[in-house]
Amino acid sequence: MVVAEHLVSNLFYGALLGSVYGVATMGLSLIFGVLRIVNVGHGAFIMLGAFTAFWMFSLYSVIPILSIPIALIFGLALGLLIFYTTIRRLIDAPELSTLLATFAIGIFIEEVAKFVWGSDYVGFSWNIGTLYLGAITVPYTKLLAFVCSAAIAGLLYIWFTKTKLGTAIRAVVEDREGAMVCGINVGRIYSLSFAIGIGLTVLSGVLVTLFVPVGINVYMGPDYTLRAFVIAVLGGLGSPWGAFIAGFLFGLFENGSYTLLGLIPGVEPFALTRFVAFVFLLIILLIKPTGLLGGE
Amino acid sequence: MRGKWKLLVIGLIVLSVILTGCAQQEKKPEATPTPKTEEKVEAETLYFGAPISLTGKYSKEGQMSLWGMQVAAKWINDVYGGIKVGDKVYKVEIKYYDDESKKESVQSLVERLAVQDGVKFMLAPYSSGLTLAAAPIAEKYGVLMNSHGGASDYIFEQGYYYVVQTLSPASKYQTGFLDMIKKVDPDAKRVAMIYKDTEFSRAVFNAAREYAEANGFEVIFDKTYPKDVQDLSPILNELKATNPDIIIGGGHFADGQLLTQQLAELKINVKAISILVAPALPKYYDALGTKAEGICAPAQWEVGVTYGPEPAKKLGMDYFGPTQDEFLVLFKEISGSDEKPSYHAAEGAAAVLSYAYAIEKAQSLDPEKVRETMNGIEFMTLYGVWKIDPETGKQIGHEMVIIQWQGGTKRIIWPEAAANTEPYYPIPTWEDKEQGKLAKH
Repeated sequence: MVVAEHLVSNLFYGALLGSVYGVATMGLSLIFGVLRIVNVGHGAFIMLGAFTAFWMFSLYSVIPILSIPIALIFGLALGLLIFYTTIRRLIDAPELSTLLATFAIGIFIEEVAKFVWGSDYVGFSWNIGTLYLGAITVPYTKLLAFVCSAAIAGLLYIWFTKTKLGTAIRAVVEDREGAMVCGINVGRIYSLSFAIGIGLTVLSGVLVTLFVPVGINVYMGPDYTLRAFVIAVLGGLGSPWGAFIAGFLFGLFENGSYTLLGLIPGVEPFALTRFVAFVFLLIILLIKPTGLLGGE
Repeated sequence: MRGKWKLLVIGLIVLSVILTGCAQQEKKPEATPTPKTEEKVEAETLYFGAPISLTGKYSKEGQMSLWGMQVAAKWINDVYGGIKVGDKVYKVEIKYYDDESKKESVQSLVERLAVQDGVKFMLAPYSSGLTLAAAPIAEKYGVLMNSHGGASDYIFEQGYYYVVQTLSPASKYQTGFLDMIKKVDPDAKRVAMIYKDTEFSRAVFNAAREYAEANGFEVIFDKTYPKDVQDLSPILNELKATNPDIIIGGGHFADGQLLTQQLAELKINVKAISILVAPALPKYYDALGTKAEGICAPAQWEVGVTYGPEPAKKLGMDYFGPTQDEFLVLFKEISGSDEKPSYHAAEGAAAVLSYAYAIEKAQSLDPEKVRETMNGIEFMTLYGVWKIDPETGKQIGHEMVIIQWQGGTKRIIWPEAAANTEPYYPIPTWEDKEQGKLAKH
């Protein structure tokens, strides 16, 4: 009975966390899908989002929900800036160049952030109450993080499928030359996709603070980068909503497996949850090498 | 056009390499100092080498310890008049490189300091992990290494001769808190331990478990969480069901904040909580607000601890180095900020002072002789007592203090001799804290 209760509540927390993971990976997936560039500096942009939420809250008392559009606009602008200064020259460059460039951008952002904000671990307290649901005790901020994540993923899906621009982006993902022949301005799609990818990533940093409002630090990014890579591969590289679903599943597996592993005497369940999540990744890739929603 | 771009990029790279080279050059020792005839005693420079984490995850602690070391060096040079060995006087300078908080960099930097720079006395890097990486290299080159930020006992169980410790070892981190609980509430027996899976935390909690069991406590929960954890709910859910009296746990900054935050979210109420590292820093309270009320932490040192020439005299030992007030003034000057020194700064300073004290006692710059002399010395600095175990080099003189957040202020509650207030026990519930209740007498 106790085990069942734990399992239910852990799966519930896992779902909440997974949705945030999902949105935090969509940008990475989109950029890879359109530009074939792996953004190794991904985590640095999540950090920028987390700091956006932190500063907006502590300086102007802006609640994190309202920081979401601010982070998106900031991310879009930053994305465009980085695209026109660096990425544009790297579109057809060898993989190593793009890896090094994005790695360098990540380090550059972290160190500038450290110079400006310092290396303290900061956080804020936004208390809007707690939901008690049987065995589950969960603050409303986490539920909000889930609702916002799902809404953002949904909106993005609609935008991609129902609008001309979204369709154009999908066309470029599928066949660059073909899209060009059809009169799509591929250069513009590149810049736009990169900007949206970075915008989404910065925005996800705000969602991260809704989930965990403390421990915000300029070096918090790399932990998210690693997870984002795994989730992106799991979802099918280049498929943003595949990433969202994969993130969701990853969260469920990470937290859900804790209860089951805890039943085995003598093991440290937490150390093994990551292992289980990776085994799960391997199995999916064995069955479908292109990931959950990946194409050919 | 492309050619021009390439040229520009190559040019920029070359320029940056030259500039970095220049920056490093500045720190290098000056070539044979010109003898000054008007000075009677010629002051030579003695370099203490240090790999410091100025970037990466330990940059905060690294910067603090560097400032502390520089304060101690300044005191030795300007106030004390340099280290006197025979008829020579040595000025101290800290020769440091950024280790980026990485094990790989630490090893090559220690080698560089020992071989290229010819440093004989080294200050270990911050954290147990990095110190463990550095120790074998120092040992290989016969260079003394003083650990000011590596608390793990494991470092000193490897049989290294040249590695000594200035801070209290990890095994002492949570024992003071247990002593305090035993004193204020002998009925609180059920202890839950939840900590980060790192070398340092394992050392702390393995020792804490043994100590707890030997002192009549019952350890009812004992689990770790991984390094880069984002959600502790599963493990805390399990902990909640065991209904403990006290919780001891933590690891470093981020996870310490996360642990407190999620204990609050899941409304896990206990009588007392002691978390490693995180609560000892002021930002902890800024980040968590009233959730931090009543939370305890072991600390190596705190501003306000009463070590000074008088207590040293009572204990019949020397006092060496700046007093706390002098330290605070010099620290402000060196750091150029109003930020108060953390214990990392005091640790760094104490390590430098222990070298100066031991070198003068040994009257030698030979690392082996100084190491031998260290076996017999016992003295006090602003950081507390310095005395090592001759066999292992482990610190045995220094005592940990326990701090508690009371009404938005960090107060020292243990040991009784160093305390500036009574412990607040039991701590308010999370629900009460949400209503604004403070852990204030």
